[in-house]
Amino acid sequence: MIIKGLPIPDVVKRYGSPRALVALGLGFLGVAYVVPILLLYWQSLNFGDGGLFIHYESALSGIYLQTLLRSFYYGILTTVVTLSLGYVLAYYIAFRAQREKFLLGLVVLPLWIAYVIRYLGIQLLLFESSPLVQLLGTDFGILFSTRGVIIGLTSVFLPFAILPIYHALNSIEDELISASRTLGAGQLRTIRSVIIPLSLSGIVAGGLIVFILATGSFLAPAILGSPGDTMIANVIQGAYSNFNVGLASSLAVIYTTLLLVVIMAFNSYVNIGRVLGEL
Amino acid sequence: MGMLEVEDFTKYYGDLLAVDDLSFKIEEGEFGTLLGPSGCGKSTTLHTIAGLREPSEGSIRLRGEDVIDQSPDERNIGMVFQSSATFPHMTVEENVRYGLEMHGFEEEEIEQKISKYLGLVQIDEYRDHKPGELSGGQERRVSIARALAYEPDILLLDEPLTGLDRVLRQELRNEIKQIQREVDVTTLYVTHDQEEALSMSDKIIVLDNGQKQQEGSPTEIYDGPSNSFVANFVGKSTRLKGTVATLDPPAVETPVGTVPVGAVALEGLEVGQRVELFLRPEDVEFADPAGTATTTLGGTVNNVEYLGTFSEVLVDVGEGVEAIVHTSTSNVVDVGDEVALDFDPANVIVLEE
Repeated sequence: MIIKGLPIPDVVKRYGSPRALVALGLGFLGVAYVVPILLLYWQSLNFGDGGLFIHYESALSGIYLQTLLRSFYYGILTTVVTLSLGYVLAYYIAFRAQREKFLLGLVVLPLWIAYVIRYLGIQLLLFESSPLVQLLGTDFGILFSTRGVIIGLTSVFLPFAILPIYHALNSIEDELISASRTLGAGQLRTIRSVIIPLSLSGIVAGGLIVFILATGSFLAPAILGSPGDTMIANVIQGAYSNFNVGLASSLAVIYTTLLLVVIMAFNSYVNIGRVLGEL
Repeated sequence: MGMLEVEDFTKYYGDLLAVDDLSFKIEEGEFGTLLGPSGCGKSTTLHTIAGLREPSEGSIRLRGEDVIDQSPDERNIGMVFQSSATFPHMTVEENVRYGLEMHGFEEEEIEQKISKYLGLVQIDEYRDHKPGELSGGQERRVSIARALAYEPDILLLDEPLTGLDRVLRQELRNEIKQIQREVDVTTLYVTHDQEEALSMSDKIIVLDNGQKQQEGSPTEIYDGPSNSFVANFVGKSTRLKGTVATLDPPAVETPVGTVPVGAVALEGLEVGQRVELFLRPEDVEFADPAGTATTTLGGTVNNVEYLGTFSEVLVDVGEGVEAIVHTSTSNVVDVGDEVALDFDPANVIVLEE
């Protein structure tokens, strides 16, 4: 945006040609994004004995494949739970609450705290020694289990679902809801036929963010899961720390490709660009 | 029994009194209008009738049945909103279908009514379009068809012509009136535009500050306003303040001279009483130079606005009072001309101050 009458500083004039600005952006993308990914591809290949794709062969075998599928399964599970919970909360804040801004503040507040601390907090809350567990006599088998991982991921990523859904709900004109009611639709029918379709953009946006973040989660399975809840990020990290860079790289390549395939498949079903354009 | 009966309706928003003890009735097939400036409580009243707001006090009856405890979907009403409020994710046809399905019509009937009402508002060819692809006027038509299709007991319109240009407003105004007559649906229309109210309504209820100022036919409201608010709000007029000078001949003393008025207008008033006079612009004409004028009202022409079929002339009659005269365009006056004004004393509206 150009503000008329605002003098442009000389430095900007000298170095701020469109060409220079584009070069700056592309340069950053290249150095910080394209080059590392190319390196990743390069390192996932084997140039010694045993064939070029030997790392891919082991990455797609037994335990690694299982972990990969588990990651996507946990990602989908977390997305479904987070969206359901997030929709209800966003609906409440947008339509029912008196102190909208205050509640939105509460939603955003946890984002100030590092994930690792929040997961540790959940762990502490569910330890045998915690007052809550002592009071209830049980942690309901949550800690160090799949449930623990899903609950942890949900609690941490909930704001990413609530915010876009709230935004979408908030931009629905009141008169549309009133119109649905005067046309003879009850409250539930209005939610189903008017409010949900008109907040689809928020659901898709929130769902995508949560799905991508949850599938690639490292901390939740490490802190709240059992050894059987290991996810792909843990395996990749493990391989790296064992200096098995080839395996780690090929796992990363497979995981990223699969993630893109899943998102593209979803895109052919719901046109993400178009839906998000409504946001 | 009226189709719609509003009785002692009062609405507070917190401490703010929005509507004060309002009662009125709309008969079956009648076109009623709530007319008033913004903030007068007319929209609140309409929304309460629709069930979108709760009254603080009073009762609302539709077809004789008290509907206060019913939610909007339980009242058999059709409503057209200011923003037209067509569902953007549905096609024109689906918009109309929605209300029909909610009212439990059979598929065959649904098809038939969709065609009938989309035809009635001349939007049939856009059936498969989304509202976003339509013009403002077309969108209003869809929302009118949608509200009428399931043949509700009453059609409620909340300033449905807001935001449209003048020509389109006029066109849609005539159409709404025609459709209303054709479908014979009881209608309650809310507007701040007195021209709309006068041209469409069988009955007008004038509101100000949440209180009913007057209720009557357009002619009753225009020719016999019950107070100075109504006289000012509905139609243009020359406004003079004064005191009753003599009862016979009936005349009022004003700062710009003595104004003869009709004998009927002074009935019940006494000499010396303060009154306000209103003169409709079409009742005033320029006096024949030959000097048959019945009044001494006159002054300098301040402005002449050519309005096609007539001209609106503003005349400075002194003491800061500007008289408004509507005159045939063949009657040529120019800014700066000295003119004398003539009118039939019986047409002067006299209101106690």
